[in-house]
Amino acid sequence: MNLDLLQEIINLKNSKKEFSVITDISNAKSYIFSLNEKIQEELKENEKKIIELYKSRKDGLIKGTDLFVKNYHRPIKVVIVGAVHISQFFVEYAKSLNLDIYIIDPRGYFASEKRFPSANIINLWPDEAFKHCTLDKNTALIALTHDPKIDDPAIQEALNKKCFYIGALGSKKTHENRCNRLIENGFEKEEIKKIFGPIGIKFGGRSAPEIALSIIFQLMTEIYKQ
Amino acid sequence: MNNTFDEKILDEAQQWIEQNKKVILATVIQTWGSSPRPIGSLMIVNNSGDFSGSVSGGCVEGEVVRQCLDLLNDKNDFKKIDFKVSNESAWNVGLACGGEIAIFLEKLKK
Repeated sequence: MNLDLLQEIINLKNSKKEFSVITDISNAKSYIFSLNEKIQEELKENEKKIIELYKSRKDGLIKGTDLFVKNYHRPIKVVIVGAVHISQFFVEYAKSLNLDIYIIDPRGYFASEKRFPSANIINLWPDEAFKHCTLDKNTALIALTHDPKIDDPAIQEALNKKCFYIGALGSKKTHENRCNRLIENGFEKEEIKKIFGPIGIKFGGRSAPEIALSIIFQLMTEIYKQ
Repeated sequence: MNNTFDEKILDEAQQWIEQNKKVILATVIQTWGSSPRPIGSLMIVNNSGDFSGSVSGGCVEGEVVRQCLDLLNDKNDFKKIDFKVSNESAWNVGLACGGEIAIFLEKLKK
């Protein structure tokens, strides 16, 4: 692989693009492929099979050829509401995972860059913040302030946008009250059931790093179910 | 949805190149049986013998480093190597877990 191509791959990754690198193992020539770009002459013959592998998100040799396809996936967007202690550990642990993390908190003293040097911080109330950081069905929403003023509007937006993972911090009692408020606001019981509350898998730990770990584990489990 | 971990291997390769190291990229291109790392796994090796990433659970990395150092001194720019289950001594190079893998080695160069 030549160094210009290496640089191009790194740039594409950093700009969160989705693409494949196709290497001809008979001569070590590599090509970049993405759905929106015109395919190179050398690959045209196998275009259909390349697209198939690209869409299946699996790496591998194309049968009957010397072409190896390696896919680069866009990171999964995770929006955390609450620049709290747990969020700091979450960001730290998630560093080697392919997650694109945004932290929303209207409280400036929480949402400071000093506390989160490597995350995207949005220092706004959720309603405003979602104008800059939109949610969709491929987004995970994690509510950690356990202040209904901040968490509730975020959870409502996540339910409306059908986020694949919605988790909310708080005891069983807190969560019950939260569910009742959501019902009062017109949400269906079936939808509300999809919220993971209390958030995280139960393994006994209650400290901030342990809760962060339990949330990551639950989130990753849901990612692989998709 | 298929999530991968965020591979920093290529970024690291670039840093090595900036330090004037010669670098080989190793990619798992085929697997059979219970191979420890999936197809597409990456590892890099430089001319000082440093390596980063993985192509197995530690079973064959030593041999891959040796093969990469050989390739650095070779006029060829690439090579495919295969590893099969080791059926003699566990100390032999091979996959103790019973898998088989094919790895593609290539020079990163101008």
